[in-house]
Amino acid sequence: MIQVSHISKEFISPKKYPGLRGAIKGLFSNEKVKKMAVDDISFHINKGEIVGYIGSNGAGKSTTIKMMTGILTPTNGECIVNGVNPSKYRKENAQNIGVVFGQRTQLWWDLPLSESFSILKEIYNVSDEDYKNRMNFLNEVLDLEEFFHRPVRTLSLGQRMRGDLGAALLHNPKVLYLDEPTIGLDLVVKDKIRKAIKTINDNYETTIILTTHDIDDIEELCSRIIVIDEGKKIYDGSLKELKEKYGSKRKIRMEVKHSKELASFSTAEKLNCSSNDCLTEYDADNHLLTISFDKHKIETPQVISSVMEFTDVFDVQIQETELSEIVKQIYNHEVSEELV
Amino acid sequence: MEQKNTTFKRYFKLYRLLIGQFLKAIMQSKVDFFMGLFGFFFSQVMGIAFLYLVFQQIPTLDGWTFDQLIFIYGFAQIPRGIDHLLTDNIWMIAWRIVIKGEFDRYMLRPMNLFFQVIAEKLQPDALGELLVGSILIILSISKGIVIIDIWHVVLFLISIIAGALIYTSIKLFFASFAFWIKISGPFLQVAYDMAEFAKYPTEIYTKIIRFLITWVIPFAFVAYLPASYFLKADVSATVIGIECIIAILFWCISYAFFNKGTSIYESSGN
Repeated sequence: MIQVSHISKEFISPKKYPGLRGAIKGLFSNEKVKKMAVDDISFHINKGEIVGYIGSNGAGKSTTIKMMTGILTPTNGECIVNGVNPSKYRKENAQNIGVVFGQRTQLWWDLPLSESFSILKEIYNVSDEDYKNRMNFLNEVLDLEEFFHRPVRTLSLGQRMRGDLGAALLHNPKVLYLDEPTIGLDLVVKDKIRKAIKTINDNYETTIILTTHDIDDIEELCSRIIVIDEGKKIYDGSLKELKEKYGSKRKIRMEVKHSKELASFSTAEKLNCSSNDCLTEYDADNHLLTISFDKHKIETPQVISSVMEFTDVFDVQIQETELSEIVKQIYNHEVSEELV
Repeated sequence: MEQKNTTFKRYFKLYRLLIGQFLKAIMQSKVDFFMGLFGFFFSQVMGIAFLYLVFQQIPTLDGWTFDQLIFIYGFAQIPRGIDHLLTDNIWMIAWRIVIKGEFDRYMLRPMNLFFQVIAEKLQPDALGELLVGSILIILSISKGIVIIDIWHVVLFLISIIAGALIYTSIKLFFASFAFWIKISGPFLQVAYDMAEFAKYPTEIYTKIIRFLITWVIPFAFVAYLPASYFLKADVSATVIGIECIIAILFWCISYAFFNKGTSIYESSGN
């Protein structure tokens, strides 16, 4: 459905210097700064996939999306979306895709949502019959009816986002791009949006590409993720695999009876292993002992019993590594070398 | 042909729809609407008053009488008004739409980009120019100084359309610089202001300005030169022909430049 081959995007901007003096210097200098926002990225996405496209701020996510939607022309390489090259055949491509930018609405600010929809119906040449069916479906999954006749500027962020999502789907696009669709929304609305995305994907086999900073979005929606960092692709694979590979840490949190020696207590020492594989931290104020360890190397009961030998344990909590932590590690370049 | 016809119909329908929505939105603030109209009408009246004051000192200007100058002035307002009414949103390209990344929205829709820009807005202020222009032309006709026959009437209409197209092309050309330099408003402003020169006979200017507004930024061809055809029997219709050629040429150049600009459009970061 989507074939991206070696695309790069380079931005050239005049060099800037700090301060007022710098600003004046900048006027007379001709120096340019080149920045590779996207650097030789390739991937293939099949019909009906939901792919999470993640990376830190400025990693090049939006730039890639903008090249796939036809807003930007790649400096090198090309992408083909549903058989069309978006930068060469912008209009044809636009008819095939739907786009939601979480930060910016595509709707007409002063018009009621209903009017925005009737304009979009004409723009995308949707027949009356298709329009009717489509609206029924969208009403069902997004509950548009409750604010359908209010001007867009009076809608809450959550309502606006539902409106935007509906507007992007009116012409039944084969590919849907969602750039941070849940940004700034409360949990209930987030959940609603996610369910809607899932339903759309199930019913119409819409291919969905989603960028987000919200880990829950990825966990609930995406079967596959692509991670980019500084314009380069550093991971492309299933979510499960990523978790298995990098989510080997397990964390145990215990509420214990306080004793002075706990401050120097080390589970690693007790179990005879390196502190890399097993890290002990003690929070003396709350009497909380936290032990993080590699679950492939150390058994959970071993850890608990080693503590119980030492002091009384009142409560035990076991946590698996969350995706958010893996992502955090990737963002901090901790695992990027291993991945490459 | 069939294909072309349906495309045209579709765009016509879309234009009506989009402009209809725009009008609905602005009617909600009637005060703005009428203030704008009044403001432009007022500035037009001041322009004529200025001409009148000048002519109290000098009865003719380089062989042109006051009545004839009034016609040139009025004639100049019509193409300007038409362009102002229909394509005012081009200014926003120069000042805001490109730098803020709002052009993204146009790129995402399966419609012609230039069409989307102009279909977003009508400028009611332009009605002031059209009104004053029409009044002055009717006044001139009633004084019997304008040549009227079938040829002149047809060429009058053609000249107005070509003149408006020259305006639009010049605006589009300078606005398109925004795709490279982000904000091109100041350049567009300077170029657009050159049109002020065209309200008066170009003979009164130095050679450099005359050359500039005739052949570089050809505003002389939207007002003074064609207007002289309607006033003087010895002026050949060729002048309207040249006006049309300039209009088409400038339009092609500007539109190509605009298209080139959209292909290097850089959007803005989130």
